Amino acid sequence: MRKNPYQPVEADVEEIIAESPVIKTFALRPREEIPFATGQFIELSVDGIGEAPFTPSSDPNNKERIEITAMNVGSVTAGLHEIKKGQAVGIRGPYGKGYPLNEFKGKNILIVGGGVGLAPLRSLIFALLSQVNDYKKIYLRYGAKTPGDIIYKDQFSHWQEHIDIELSVDKGDSGWKGRVGVVTMLLENFKEDLNNTVSIVCGPPVMMKFATLKLRELGFPPENIYLSMEKNMSCGLGKCGHCRVGKYYVCKDGPVFNYAQLQGIPDIWD
Amino acid sequence: MRTLFLNTKDLPDFLNNLSKEYSVYVPSKIKGKGLPCDFGFKLPTHDYLWEKLSAVKKEDLAFNDYRSIESLRAFFTRSKEKLVLSDNENKIAVFGVKACDLFCLKIQDFVFSGGEIKDPFYERRRASALLISGDCLSFKEACFCLALEINPYPGEGFDLNFSVLENGFVVDVGSDKGEEAIKASAALFAPATSQALAQREEKRNALARNLSGHLERHKIPSKDVLQEIVKAGYESDIWQAEAEKCVECGACNFVCGTCHCFLLAEDRFGNAHERVRLWDCCSYANFARVAGGANPLKLRYQRVRNRYLKKFDFFPENFAISACAGCGRCIEACPAKIDIRSVLRKLNEEKSLSAR
Repeated sequence: MRKNPYQPVEADVEEIIAESPVIKTFALRPREEIPFATGQFIELSVDGIGEAPFTPSSDPNNKERIEITAMNVGSVTAGLHEIKKGQAVGIRGPYGKGYPLNEFKGKNILIVGGGVGLAPLRSLIFALLSQVNDYKKIYLRYGAKTPGDIIYKDQFSHWQEHIDIELSVDKGDSGWKGRVGVVTMLLENFKEDLNNTVSIVCGPPVMMKFATLKLRELGFPPENIYLSMEKNMSCGLGKCGHCRVGKYYVCKDGPVFNYAQLQGIPDIWD
Repeated sequence: MRTLFLNTKDLPDFLNNLSKEYSVYVPSKIKGKGLPCDFGFKLPTHDYLWEKLSAVKKEDLAFNDYRSIESLRAFFTRSKEKLVLSDNENKIAVFGVKACDLFCLKIQDFVFSGGEIKDPFYERRRASALLISGDCLSFKEACFCLALEINPYPGEGFDLNFSVLENGFVVDVGSDKGEEAIKASAALFAPATSQALAQREEKRNALARNLSGHLERHKIPSKDVLQEIVKAGYESDIWQAEAEKCVECGACNFVCGTCHCFLLAEDRFGNAHERVRLWDCCSYANFARVAGGANPLKLRYQRVRNRYLKKFDFFPENFAISACAGCGRCIEACPAKIDIRSVLRKLNEEKSLSAR
């Protein structure tokens, strides 16, 4: 255990991949190993700006290289987007509870993602694909604002070998042949034994809300719906108080919750 | 627990002996704000601040009648500090701690010394601090510990406890650290007589009776219903009404002994950046805001409500006690006169009305 839990480990920026006009993936090589379970998060710091929580988007089996996919929306991500290959950032963690893969074994898995919310889900997909025989069928339903906002475009064809994938965009363009509409539309015709299917949802709060309601409407039991909650996780240790949701701290009791844990708490989507 | 007796005249010598090993902090009396009304109880209005023993004149050394203005937590987490671990922690002894302060410290201990990862800054300071508490001799208008079933005299959590009698102090030794601390002054202490103990009992009971009488007027709901009424009142208009008065100054957060939230930030020192930690306030608009702009505590009434949910729902769920000691500091500090006692009372009244 490190003596000062607030002190980050330095990590070198090894590669930067532009995913969309506002989203980049940063491949980081921490100078000390930071093994994480898929769904756990880290605190990433940019010198002189501060820290923000990110769930790695990379394969948890790769211990040397952690990838973070970040949309340029806040002060830390703005600083991060200015960073060049060869510079260093700080990493603390990992924190919290990740996806309970053991509970997913032998079940169908329905992954529902929205926008940059596909980042943590990509890490999950890597973890699932590394032991693909442990699970029944895997589905991915992903929605983005426009075709240009779809991230990890080059990986879908590879995933398609093992995953049933459907995409939608809120607004198409001349080249878009796929479906147009919100991602919940892709759930309409989902036919599987719901008691033997888990659904994992990650995206903007409003998308998570309507996806969860849709899944409930389809008949998913609340304990089979897993949500990656985004709150203002700052210390990651359950101490600084910013990420409280009901009786939980998202940083230590989450960020992955099942809906049965959250459904009695008012205003969880705000 | 060993119980001893110290003569009043020997207190300065004891504190001086202590100061050979500890930086000793003692309460110094200051003028307080006047009271608009105290229902004829003629309650005292003076206040106390902790000062270094060396800064207090010998003749001004006094036992504090009740808790000081600031809470104890400033000794353990700073309002702003660099997060760099130092090797030698300054040993401090704090004299004049009250039962409410010790109760609040349970919450701080749970937060900073609990969980999978402990806070080394807190733990070191806490381990090297000597807590010398004392019975309350009086109470302020805002004091309401008894309503939360916390007695105005400490029962646990201290290293030494002082109870004032006419000519001296009954001293309880509550820990090995306390034993160690009186060794150098062993000659000053005598065993407490049963007469002294009886006197102490009488004083304690008399104060509790007075305080109960005072609290009757406030109709503070019983401790057992607080979690229930705060949860049941989630949609109540009370939060909006209180929020209309709140000016978001954060005073209630900063004086509170159980508030613990902090902000991690980078601060510039010369040309370098260093990690700092500052006390944070859930009254502030950006407290829960995330990048991209979502903010679950966007509106002021949500933040006012959040404070009560944290203290009376989150902590009971996770630690089986409410995070309020009834010290009343937030009541005195609030420039808008938001009074936690009346908020709880109104929530209770609403709950009873809706149950009819």
